[in-house]
Formats: sequence, structure tokens, C-alpha cells
Amino acid sequence: MVKRVAIVGIGTTGFRPITPDVSYRELIFEAARKAYTDAGIEPSEVDGFIAAAEDFIEGYSICDEYCPDQIGAVLKPTHTIAGDFIQALAAGYMMIMTGAFKTVTVESHSKASNIKNVDEVLGFAFDPVYNRPLRETPHAIAGLEMTRYMFETCTSSEQCAKVVVKNKGNAMRNPYAAFGADISEKDVMNSEPISLPLHRLDIAPHADGAVVAVLADGDTALALTDAPIWIEGLGWCTDTPTLEMRDWGEAAYARIAAEMAYKMAGIADPVGMIDFAEICDEYSFKELQHMEALKLCRPGEAAHLLESGATSFTGRLPINVSGGALGVGHLFEASGAHKILELVEQLRGHAGARQIPDVNIGLAQVWRGVPTATGAVAILSNM
Amino acid sequence: MAITEKMTKTTTPTHWEGDIPVRFVYTYGLAGETFFRAIKDKGTFLATRCDACDVTFLPPKIYCDRCFEELDKFVDVGTIGHVDTFTVTFKNMDGSDKAKPRILAMIRIDGTDGGIIHYLEGISIEEVALGLPVKAIFKPKGQRKGGIEDIIGFGPVE
Repeated sequence: MVKRVAIVGIGTTGFRPITPDVSYRELIFEAARKAYTDAGIEPSEVDGFIAAAEDFIEGYSICDEYCPDQIGAVLKPTHTIAGDFIQALAAGYMMIMTGAFKTVTVESHSKASNIKNVDEVLGFAFDPVYNRPLRETPHAIAGLEMTRYMFETCTSSEQCAKVVVKNKGNAMRNPYAAFGADISEKDVMNSEPISLPLHRLDIAPHADGAVVAVLADGDTALALTDAPIWIEGLGWCTDTPTLEMRDWGEAAYARIAAEMAYKMAGIADPVGMIDFAEICDEYSFKELQHMEALKLCRPGEAAHLLESGATSFTGRLPINVSGGALGVGHLFEASGAHKILELVEQLRGHAGARQIPDVNIGLAQVWRGVPTATGAVAILSNM
Repeated sequence: MAITEKMTKTTTPTHWEGDIPVRFVYTYGLAGETFFRAIKDKGTFLATRCDACDVTFLPPKIYCDRCFEELDKFVDVGTIGHVDTFTVTFKNMDGSDKAKPRILAMIRIDGTDGGIIHYLEGISIEEVALGLPVKAIFKPKGQRKGGIEDIIGFGPVE
């Protein structure tokens, strides 16, 4: 019986606001080529393949049919997860745990710059009968959440703006990041109002890019590399799609996904065990709300922890040292892929100017964005 | 193979512009039809109730998502609720500015665990607060078509 599963190779294009020179399949090919070189195997030797993609964001019906070529999966066992990369990672983990697959490739990407009407496309995700006729943008749902979160936790807009300042600042150390900037809370508060309390700079802008990872069972991993990055915990869940029945203040999808991942990883005390975390900050307040849902602090404490510097690059629990979605760019279903990439680079000690010293356990958490209530968590280690 | 060739002129890359015209009918179903008929004919909201879980679903569902039992009991929950959360929206779907900002709110309808997401009418940004009691305002009966737009919004409770 297979005991453990590791990431043995990872590749990326990095992330950019636009990529007019390449097609999305060429983006993926670049990331895949790098991942296979990193893993020291060829796709012909890989047993199974998974892509994470979503038809309307790709601009294709049945977009999974377009996945094999650029990851080396033609006429091989392949499927697509209509969800985030971390959900695809969980599927790959399970394939290996069956014993029928020794190696599995997991791919995700964003070619957001191809979409001419992103808000409208995401607007199609609203309930067509109860919500869509109002023709509000998806950001309105985030605005509703933000108001309630701030009310329940006594958090201010200024405190949420500090998340943006931190993450865009962190992104300046990350060569993959598209939206690094040295800004102040005032810049955020004075940016254009979109759906108050959300301002333009509270919202992660979209970026293009691809990430491909190669997974292997324990024996294969140790034969391929001296530095496997082990998958210790995984969790994911989806809340009701009925917006009207939701609890607007709490990210229950993140809390329950984290509880599942902590249980699998044997982590009873997340604050004591987790060295650093990459968590979803698609909107500024989401980083704070998710910190609480992940039990990295108590409800209402996240903003204070941020202001104390504890979650900064040099703090005791660095959060989003990559720059997060606010600094790197929002990547649709590849959002989790970017977080896993950051964990792997940090845990290998390959993160360059943004390397956090002496890290052994990292947490990645993702949310599929408005109007979804799907969350996924992965815990990786280098031990 | 290394990828070494990169375009350096922004005018060089070419593309094809396409769109996906998608047209659907969305069936209301038993719960939706009952709900919208009540709005159209009586100007009130009907919810479904799961006594076992002590949950009242609005919009109504014919199944309880907690105990997974079928629900067939519709209850009239009236049209009064309170502001559970709100946002002030400035943008249209195409990214353009709205003629004037609008207050979108989640109204938790009294006696239910759900509610309605709609606009606040006759309430200014200065007046709106979480917990504010509000009441549904419907279009005149003859203009209602059986949809969420039969509701104009939610206004102050006299």
C-alpha cells in the first residue's frame, strides 16, 4: 500500500497581466515542459493526467477535450476537474493512493486576458432566476460579504486596505508576480469605489499564467528526487449555492476544508505547527476572514495580527509572502496552483529574495471566488 | 525544446474574435413556481419549512439540504425583514459607471433562515445600517410577471 504522495516536479510560466504572444495551450506547454524537466521524467512515463478548468472561462464548450496535447497526455488516462487546482491535486493524490497510478500530472492555468467581458461571464454563475436578473457584478456579492464580515469582527476598511499594502509589497520580491507595488492604505481607500466597502485596489486584478505539477508515490518520489515535497493534508467542500441561505460573515467553506486537512495531516494546533501560509486574498478582507476560518487566529483577531506585523514577510506567521492574488494576480482555477507553487519553492529553499528561513510545513488555501462557496486546503511539508 | 522566440512588438500578435451566444430557459420548478405565483397574485413571500431541522427556506426548496427530507409545507412569511448586510454598487456589468450608485442588500425575512437579495428604495446611504427593518415594495399587481423583478426593492417599515 502506498503510504505517501509527493510533488516531485513543478513548472510555471510566471504570471503577467497579458500574454498576447502565446495561446493558452502554449502557456501550458511551457509550464509542463519545465515541470517534467524539474521532475526528471517525460510525460510518456507518467501514468495519469488531470487538468483544472472551467468551460465559460476557457471560452469553449467541453474544454476538457482540449487539455491533453500540451501536457503530454494524448491517449492517456486524462480528466478535467471543474474546480480549483487544489481540488485537482486531491484527485491526483487519490489516484496514486489507489496503487493503480505511480505518477500523475496536475495542470491549471489562466488566460484571463482572452476574456473580453469577465464580469458578465462570472455573472452567469449567479442563480438565473433569483439573482441574475438584477444584473449586479460579481463584486457586489463580495461587497455584501465584506460589510457583514467587518460588522461581525469590528474590522475597518482601513485594516482591510493594509492587506493590500502588505501583499502588493511582498509581490515586489517575487519575480513571478504581475502586480507588485509600493502603496499606502490611502491609495487603496482613495481608489475608485466599485461595490462599497470594496474599492478598486481591494480587488485582485486578473493575470495570465500556467502551473503544472508532477506527483508520485513515496517510492517513486525518493527515486526521482532528494527533495520531495510531501502532501500531508487535503480538504475541500462546497456550501449551498443559495446566497440567501448563507451566513455572510463567516467563510464556512474554508473552516470545514481546513478541519479536514488538519485531521489528515495530524495537526491539532495549526498556529504552533504551520510555518507559513498562502491563503486566498482575491478581495482584501478575504485574507483576514480566511485566517480566522483556518484557525490561524480567533474570530476578530486577524486585523490585529496583521497590524502587529505577525503575518508580514519577517513575522512569526508569514501570510502570502508571494504577494497573494492581490500582488500576483487572480488566476481563476489556477489560483490554488500558484499557492502550491509558492509552498514548493519555499519548502525547497528556492524562493530567492522572498525565502522564509527554516520552513518545514506550509498551508495553501483557496476559494473559487464569487459567487461560489467552494474552498480547498492543502498542507505540504519537506520532511 | 526551449522557448526562445518571443514577440517584441505589441502590434504583432494576432487573434480571432469570437463569442458564444448561449440562450436558455430556466425552469422554475415546483418551489420557484409556488414562490413567484405568490408574489404575482398576493404580493407575499412563501417559504418551505423543515420542522425536524427547525429551518425555514426562503427562497423555498422542496428538499431540506440538512436532513435531506422532502418538504411540502409552504408557509406565508410576509414581506418584512431586516438588513443582514449591504453594499453600494457603482458599476454596470460592462464596467461602465451606473447613473447613480445603488444600495444592494441581503434582506433576512423575519421568521426565516433565508431572505431576498434586492435593492433598498427610499433609504439613503447615511440611513442604512445592519439590522434596519425593511418591507418589500412590489410593482402594481397588473405589471407583475412572476419573477424577482416584480419586487421593486425594500423600503422603510412605516
